[in-house]
Amino acid sequence: MTTGTAMTLRSRNRRSSGQESPEWVRISAASAIALGFRSGRFGRDFDFGGINLLLNYEDGCRSDCGYCGLARTRPGDYEDKSFIRVEWPLVRTDDLVDRMAAVEDRLTRLCISMVTSPYAFEDSLEITSRINAKVRTPLSILVAPPTLNRRRLERFYDAGVDMIGIGLDAVTERLFRSIRTDVPAGGAGLSWKKYWNVVDDAREIFGPWKVNCHTLVGLGESDQDLVDLFVRLVDRQIFPYLFCFNPEPDSRMGLVPKSTITRWRRIQLVKHLVEKEGFRGDDFRFSEEGSLTGVRAVHADLVVETANQGLAFMTNGCPGENGEPGCTRPYGSYRPTEQFRDFPFEPTTSDLVNIRAELEVDRLFF
Amino acid sequence: MKLGGYDVAKVKCKGYEIRDDLYYDHDRNLWVERIASNSVRVGFDPLGVEVSGTLAQLVMHPNLGTLCRGDAVGTLEAEKFVGPLETPLGGRVVAFNEAVISDPRRIYADCFQAWLFELAGVQSEELATLVHPTDVTKDFEERVETYKRAGVLSW
Repeated sequence: MTTGTAMTLRSRNRRSSGQESPEWVRISAASAIALGFRSGRFGRDFDFGGINLLLNYEDGCRSDCGYCGLARTRPGDYEDKSFIRVEWPLVRTDDLVDRMAAVEDRLTRLCISMVTSPYAFEDSLEITSRINAKVRTPLSILVAPPTLNRRRLERFYDAGVDMIGIGLDAVTERLFRSIRTDVPAGGAGLSWKKYWNVVDDAREIFGPWKVNCHTLVGLGESDQDLVDLFVRLVDRQIFPYLFCFNPEPDSRMGLVPKSTITRWRRIQLVKHLVEKEGFRGDDFRFSEEGSLTGVRAVHADLVVETANQGLAFMTNGCPGENGEPGCTRPYGSYRPTEQFRDFPFEPTTSDLVNIRAELEVDRLFF
Repeated sequence: MKLGGYDVAKVKCKGYEIRDDLYYDHDRNLWVERIASNSVRVGFDPLGVEVSGTLAQLVMHPNLGTLCRGDAVGTLEAEKFVGPLETPLGGRVVAFNEAVISDPRRIYADCFQAWLFELAGVQSEELATLVHPTDVTKDFEERVETYKRAGVLSW
């Protein structure tokens, strides 16, 4: 259980430029297109209904994570910074809510991403209230653990929040500390222990399969680290959501290459096998360094069938009301000219041909 | 607006400024200007700029040879979109606008100044199949409505 160590709200000292949350929020470029704030189209034709909001403050996010576009020490003005490499247009919250209400039947999932700010909790609550007054689409909050405690999570639950996401990102304590806690501008309260306290509390309050942890592939972890965490989370009925590290230019990790497509595809497949087929750590073989070297051959038919279905390679995100893919983040971790890292739709037959080649599935069994 | 030393008039149409002295490719949202008897200059029209979203990169193909209408001259990449840049007419590409290709944001300043490529060996009969200057406004209005219905244009 978390104690009352949440970042305190300092409303008395608050100064607003007039374009800060809760009156204003940023939305993803895909959301801006879907809601008509911007003109544009997607590279392939698919339904899109996952709207992502990001809190906005003049002084930005207090954290300084090595891979993040919003990090304090990343060069440039906060207003011009990208997040997961794309621009996030700033819109008036009430206008956004009205537009979401107007196309509610097309929406599948809404998500408010907090940032580390003393105002983030109260503002998230206020925005949740405005959304829930007019829109019935299920709402998630991707939380900033340093701003929270158990009581505040309960208030999210009472306000009608459906799911809680925790952006663990780094999957081991050592990695978390080096990239998110012991950082140039200070960790702003980001600690492995605090994050897990929030995971524990959220799981108790929101229930099974209503909490998810974001895991970022390519920060320096091993495949075994990832599998260990997938098993640990699934055992507790917490969704592990996969994200592919995609270097943000000028961030401290801006020159670190993203994982190879073969490693990424295999991690997608392995995660799916753990989550949907009950695979455990000992169903896989790893090298001394923790790299995946194979899957037990006794499972070969199931593994090949799973790969051929393609669901393992779709975007991990909170579901829609009826369990369909809800948050699909098209082109979120790759450019439109690159292969889809995760598919915002079911991969087509020709996509699956490419995926099988990328997986090198015939070299996967022992 | 001055272009090549001449005053060029623009007309307002559905909130956009367009030139009504050019040919247009209805399907590809391109303007086509005849610059010699068998040569034309090609660029995005305001709708082409708008529906692409935020342009990130233009990559032109090398060694193109003689092209047919609809052949890819290059690739257009926007924030959430990638697709071929197709020629509106058959012919040979004799010039690319390197300044625009290296910085596609120039297109936003004035898409009629920011031409993309020049074609030689164009057939007059094929040019006549494009939207004629006399029909530009009506065609442009139709295209705007089509894109609005498809949800591609901002509200």
